[in-house]
Amino acid sequence: MQKNPYMPMPVDVVKIVTEVTTKDIKTFRLAFVNKEDEENFKYLPGQFAELSILGKGESPIGIASSPTQEGYIEFTVQKAGVVTSALHNLEEGTRMGVRGPLGNSWPIDYLEGKNIVIVGGGFAFTTLRSMINYMLHEDNRSRFGNITVVYGAREPGLLIYKDELAGWEKRDDIDMYVTVDKGDETWTGREGFVPTVCKEVGPASENAVTIICGPPIMIRFTLPVFFELGFSKENIYTSLEMRMKCGIGKCGRCNVGEKYVCKDGPVFSLAELDQLTPEY
Amino acid sequence: MEKRLIKKDALNGIISKLSGEMPVYAPVKDEDNVLFKVLEEGMEPLVAYSNTRNAPKNFFFPQTETMMRYMRTEREIKLSGEDGEAREAILFGVRPCDARSFILLDKVFDQEKYKDPYYIDKREKTIIVSLACVQPPYSTCFCTSVGGHPMSEEGADVLLTDMGDNYLAEFITPKGEKLLERMGDLPAADGSADEKKKELSESAEKEIKSHIPGKEIKPWLDDNFEHPFWDTIHQSCLACGTCTYLCPTCHCFDISDEVKGSDGKRIRTWDSCMYWLFTQETSGHNPRPSQKQRWRQRLMHKFKYFVDNFDEIACVGCGRCVRYCPVNIDIRKIVTDISKL
Repeated sequence: MQKNPYMPMPVDVVKIVTEVTTKDIKTFRLAFVNKEDEENFKYLPGQFAELSILGKGESPIGIASSPTQEGYIEFTVQKAGVVTSALHNLEEGTRMGVRGPLGNSWPIDYLEGKNIVIVGGGFAFTTLRSMINYMLHEDNRSRFGNITVVYGAREPGLLIYKDELAGWEKRDDIDMYVTVDKGDETWTGREGFVPTVCKEVGPASENAVTIICGPPIMIRFTLPVFFELGFSKENIYTSLEMRMKCGIGKCGRCNVGEKYVCKDGPVFSLAELDQLTPEY
Repeated sequence: MEKRLIKKDALNGIISKLSGEMPVYAPVKDEDNVLFKVLEEGMEPLVAYSNTRNAPKNFFFPQTETMMRYMRTEREIKLSGEDGEAREAILFGVRPCDARSFILLDKVFDQEKYKDPYYIDKREKTIIVSLACVQPPYSTCFCTSVGGHPMSEEGADVLLTDMGDNYLAEFITPKGEKLLERMGDLPAADGSADEKKKELSESAEKEIKSHIPGKEIKPWLDDNFEHPFWDTIHQSCLACGTCTYLCPTCHCFDISDEVKGSDGKRIRTWDSCMYWLFTQETSGHNPRPSQKQRWRQRLMHKFKYFVDNFDEIACVGCGRCVRYCPVNIDIRKIVTDISKL
């Protein structure tokens, strides 16, 4: 019989980064205790895993690191419920569990050879960051066309991965448009809502795919911009969230119509979402 | 297939012998209910019962089940899985509708990519002896409308059919044939038994008086996620979850942790799509915030989503949800009403 898919693998928290001024979003770097588990944990950008705090439970979180980063995996987690609050109280060096990788990924094969537009809002930038680091890796960069990133947050203190954003800004093989709804006295960058910035940037839709993650309100106002630019629903991808437990399509709570977000998603194209019941 | 005859008065002796070799779970009277229980010395299984109040799914998918135990210290966690610990057992006297439910549950728990080791371990080690419904027990039985039959062998390793003086015992699977070796010498059944069974089967089928257009409503369900009809089902629903707990095919569960000092365990328990907490997210968002949406989910899951995924209706027509709903919501009526829209 194959391995028990409900058993978490032991990992050590090797690094914790507080991402935002409100201190409720942290990135956890986890290293596998067993070499064998690390080798078996083969993932692609867009997948997620169940973070396991024994005694508290599990929480499904998108993988924020890229498979090109070896020796560890990263998760950016907002403090919200029982498990994520316990996670936020952990110190470096603590041992915890991880179960995965789970779900499908961004459609890497389909994205190859195309121009990629990444649109993110606030804290929903985690698996997009995974995708960006994946594409920017020297082994992969030539597999993709132009990379355009529009990333926004309400205020400068809420942008996550600030050091990485600065690093990407310096590169000439990725076009970065980082924006905040409202700047502060130290902010010298762009001000404006994500949909407006997308309109200004106006990426060409020919041979291009957009990947978008963010708060529902941002997505609602951004999609019309991309439709106007000529992007079809087949070429806009997003990632869904639902309450989950098992992560492998058995416990029955994360279905949207006949699809389980944990197993058939979380990544869907807008065209695929149109075929599903509007219940998410 | 091996076919043998068991004299009616010999059956209890055979069961009793088997229960000395491995646990035999069989329907027994328990106060006002008939429930599956392990037979202890001197106990006899009920064979003239209609059906158990609870579906037998809990043998493979218990209402509460420990998935793993763990020990936590400052720097270490020790985990041990609770899978692979099932013992060989016999589940005796399962009605054909319930036996068929195992085939449907297998589709969920025993998939190619993700196998549920807890379910599969117990399922593989249990021999299922079904008891055909020569006389379908309830007016609420509707197995023939959802792909079943009162004398179906589907899901059974051994099927017993009451032929009057004898039981016809059909040993359907290799697991069933292995059981035959432990049942002693039994006379072979001849062609006349087959004929008699055929007659019984036809009359049993006629005895099923309740029919629903289970398959026929699928096209309507495909197109009518938003329809005023969905406002008419749920008003009286108490969201008690009885229908899902008694349902042989409902398989939703919750996973939670229980801790005592440094020791703990992760358990799974039955859960229900009838409860609002089932899909409640930490953010406050709930994709199915009202009982209307939850009832639609239950019906859609059984008659559309499961059909989309596995080409089977996730209902075996046992009628438990109809008989035990405290406010008399009748899934047969809902399906029939939909077919008239």
